[in-house]
Amino acid sequence: MSETLEQSFVKQLKQNQNIVHKICRLYTTDSDAHNDLFQEITIQLWKAFPKFRGESKFSTWAYRVALNTAITLYRKNSRAVNTVTYEAQKHFFVQDEYNLEEEERIKLMYQAVQQLNDIEKALVFMYLEDKDYTEIAETLGISEVNARVKMNRIKGKLVKILNP
Amino acid sequence: MEELDLLKKAWQKDNHSFEQVTEKDIYKMIHKRSTSIVKWIFYISLLELGFGFILNIVMSFTKYDTESLELLKKWNLYNYYIGLSIIVYVVVFYFIYRFYKMYKSISVVDNTKNLLSTILKTRKVVKQYVIFNLITFALIFAVIFSYGFYYGYMDIMIKKGVVHPEISAKAICVSLLIITLITSFVTFLFWLFYRLLYGILLRRLNRNYSELKKIDL
Repeated sequence: MSETLEQSFVKQLKQNQNIVHKICRLYTTDSDAHNDLFQEITIQLWKAFPKFRGESKFSTWAYRVALNTAITLYRKNSRAVNTVTYEAQKHFFVQDEYNLEEEERIKLMYQAVQQLNDIEKALVFMYLEDKDYTEIAETLGISEVNARVKMNRIKGKLVKILNP
Repeated sequence: MEELDLLKKAWQKDNHSFEQVTEKDIYKMIHKRSTSIVKWIFYISLLELGFGFILNIVMSFTKYDTESLELLKKWNLYNYYIGLSIIVYVVVFYFIYRFYKMYKSISVVDNTKNLLSTILKTRKVVKQYVIFNLITFALIFAVIFSYGFYYGYMDIMIKKGVVHPEISAKAICVSLLIITLITSFVTFLFWLFYRLLYGILLRRLNRNYSELKKIDL
């Protein structure tokens, strides 16, 4: 029984691992920390998995646990220096269909997002994942109206970071 | 905001730039131990809850303990000591029970605000326990010190040949002041230690929690 549980978990996480990777990238600044956080999220997901009944999609359930782990449970490595020169980032959005100028703007925007605090990052993450405000509010435990207000403020803050 | 929407477009397309973990990696990961902050808080709290308890048990097997019990009997404090011990044990068990209940209710699938709040409340239980301990400690420390001082003084006087030794009011005042100062100082040191320890440990949790609360203000 527990064997099949483990198998089913591993399979689903493997399929949905990019969600976890995206959160790790947003909340860490180097690949060691990225792997560390990935590991911790995996453990938390696994611990919570027996209670996952499949009422929601695995991915929806997983990003909630992953976000919570990043925001509350994960102990940041104090040695990690807070820079945005993330090696992997160079390859992040490089895709053929972008022109160079657009690519540069996306990169700058991403760097701006990385300067936000933990909670703001969570909102932006869900915004980028195209979640609606009902879900954003529910995940963070705030009201929907205030989630909207906060998101608008974050946009303002990002403009300021980009145009100091 | 155009830039953010550009990022959003790129974000949703970008699925292949991550180094993929294999099923074997995931198997390995789920058998590792969590290093989450909750684990840290749990172990430190266990230490705190258990420390006085273990110290008590260890001490009760030593010669030192028998001697101090004799002393307590001589000072007519023995019954108070037993009474206080019972109260302390009851309170300790109450705290352990509450801590366990709170700890169990920490759920990573809860919403973020509730999760943070539960973790911080769990910490609060231990904090109350520590405050209780500090107060009991200060009380016992002050009483034992006062009695020790009083009887010690009397012994010296009797040895010196004074038949009915008495302590002047001034000496009592001064010694009480000294005892209060020392007790406050030692208690303060403990308090400072806790402030530092949990200040560091809970800084991020507190910051994120207040950020979430601020959104709903």
